[in-house]
Amino acid sequence: MKWYIVKRVLWTFVVMWIALTLTFGLLVASPDTGQTKSVMSCSASGGDAQQCREQYRERQNLDKPITERYVNYVTNMATLNWGWSESRSQSVMAAISEAWPYTAQYAIPVLVVSTILGYGLGLYSAYKPYTKADYLGSFVGFFGISIPNFWFALVLIILLGTHFEFISTYYQSGIPINQGWASMANITQLLIPSFVLLTASLAWQMRYSRAQAIEQMNQEFVKVAKAKGASQWRLMIHHVFRMAAVPLTTSFVSSLLAIFWSGSVIIEQIFSIPGLGLMTFTAITEQDTTLVLATTMITVFLAIIGNLIEDVSYTILDPRIDYGDR
Amino acid sequence: MSEPLLSVSDLETQFHTDAGTVFAVDGVSFDVDHGETVAIVGESGSGKTVTSESITSILDTPPGEIVGGTITFDGMDLTTLSETALQDVRGKRISHIFQNPQNGLNPVYTVGRQIGEAIRIHDHGDPEVPVQRQVVDLLDKTGIPEASARVDDYPHEFSGGMKQRVLIAMALACDPDLLIADEPTTALDVTIQGQILRLLEDLQAEHDMGIIFVTHDLGVVSEIADRVVVMYAGKVMETGTVEDIFRNPSHPYTRALMDCLPGRGGSMDRIEGSLPDVTDPPAGCRFSPRCEHATEACRSGDQPPLWGVDNGDTHEASCVYYDAEHDEGELAGGEGATGGHQ
Ligand SMILES: Nc1ncnc2c1ncn2[C@@H]1O[C@H](COP(=O)(O)OP(=O)(O)OP(=O)(O)O)[C@@H](O)[C@H]1O
Ligand SMILES: [Mg+2]
Repeated sequence: MKWYIVKRVLWTFVVMWIALTLTFGLLVASPDTGQTKSVMSCSASGGDAQQCREQYRERQNLDKPITERYVNYVTNMATLNWGWSESRSQSVMAAISEAWPYTAQYAIPVLVVSTILGYGLGLYSAYKPYTKADYLGSFVGFFGISIPNFWFALVLIILLGTHFEFISTYYQSGIPINQGWASMANITQLLIPSFVLLTASLAWQMRYSRAQAIEQMNQEFVKVAKAKGASQWRLMIHHVFRMAAVPLTTSFVSSLLAIFWSGSVIIEQIFSIPGLGLMTFTAITEQDTTLVLATTMITVFLAIIGNLIEDVSYTILDPRIDYGDR
Repeated sequence: MSEPLLSVSDLETQFHTDAGTVFAVDGVSFDVDHGETVAIVGESGSGKTVTSESITSILDTPPGEIVGGTITFDGMDLTTLSETALQDVRGKRISHIFQNPQNGLNPVYTVGRQIGEAIRIHDHGDPEVPVQRQVVDLLDKTGIPEASARVDDYPHEFSGGMKQRVLIAMALACDPDLLIADEPTTALDVTIQGQILRLLEDLQAEHDMGIIFVTHDLGVVSEIADRVVVMYAGKVMETGTVEDIFRNPSHPYTRALMDCLPGRGGSMDRIEGSLPDVTDPPAGCRFSPRCEHATEACRSGDQPPLWGVDNGDTHEASCVYYDAEHDEGELAGGEGATGGHQ
């Protein structure tokens, strides 16, 4: 199994390299809007257009041969030297390192809470299917899945923001800097955005784990375990949940991606949280190619690493998976 | 005569489904003694599994519900026991083995751990002897070669026949008084079937267990059973010793089953018609719509009571022809009608 994991990790690097090469190809093939813009602003401030273009091309290394640019690009990406963001006038890495704590501060707690709560509730409603508790769970679940995040956020802002003044409806990015990330003021201003994000993610995990658990409960080995005198609790945790945990790792990884990518873009836009989501959104609207590329790369890497975690946990959780000769 | 080991009386088990109530088991009674093998036979869907799973209440409730009758075991009525009291009976006093060994073991735990689970749940055996040691002994006893090497293997590393042996080892882990085997050999090929049957017989002799053996294979019944309960559509059609049933099959349904047995001169390979809808069972005898001897009397009222056959006290059939008051003549067409056999 160790050998399989080593191989799997090496393979991950290969996939990342392929992803890098593909984005490089896209970059070369696509028109450079940054150039037009930069040349325009440069000549507007009195420079010679030709000179401005050359300056820009030099700055972006566009004057070098393509092989050299490719090698440079890959080494730069690998050494976390991700280029210059024109729209923010700072390096991409600086932009990312400024933004990520704003996202992580709510995304990680939401991921943890929604996973634990979602699996717990899903398992419980599988344990008592077609009871009031289960129907309530299903209702909340479908509500969470079908209500669009942005709409729910707006409703909450209107309802809570107008009736409870202590809850801030937009995010003040100075608070964590001045009062600390774990300060009460920062936590309260994160409550609504976290709650909105939680509903969707929780609902999803709940429905998924319920379905998985019900499928496992109907397996013959659960009946066998019951026949040998196992208690309900033992059946649910030791047999049903343990089996359901295998496919559930998939839902964990997709939740992670959903929160970081789609969830945070919408939430941060609405509450003006200066995290990765808002950064992505503005990078797109400002056509800042380097930055858009960087955010795309983050998602791609998250997906690749998520996949790695998923595969490795599968082999650990399920002895039937044959990892010997792959 | 002493108390039987298990006494099922008038058991009624129903399923509440969207299509209506399924009368899966409708007034079934039979006894099992220590060291005795009772076979429950009948076509697919006749209620054999539901009967056997009602005994320790391992059927899914809901939709299933035991609505009536008593199941007396060691002075207790199992139908009234609490869930925790039942958990003490399951696996310790009454064990099950099932039809499909392929899915009977949890794929993520080693077989040793799963057999050990039964021992640990019930704190069984000598506390001085490590559970692992007891498990290896059990595997040994059920004929797993190199038991001590295989105990840490996962279920997918075992063949179907070997899995069934593992499941038998698990069922016997706490030395039960009664073993309920629900078609334990149906999913296995014929040579393995024979081995498993002999294994069960040996283990029965060693432990003086009662066995309820559910099957639709009359060939197997003749090999291992002491007594037979013939079920059809949730009712008992006929009961008796193996000799009673095989030498003098009395209910038309039993005869039809016998006629399907290869090598007994039977002419049918299956019984005409199909099982009635148990959501809306027919009036009178459940078998009457398919019975060539059925008269008006068979198609009204209730299922006839179990009448004694041949004045024997072991052999009974639920057919109006065996009612002493019945005056429409003998059961036509069959050898071995009332008193007429040999
Ligand atoms: N969970 C359930 N829900 C609804 N009906 C059920 C359920 N389980 C069994 N039944 C019904 O109960 C009746 C008896 O089923 P049972 O499984 O006892 O038959 P069986 O004699 O064991 O047949 P087989 O030889 O196929 O195993 C059938 O009509 C079946 O449809
Ligand atoms: Mg069955």
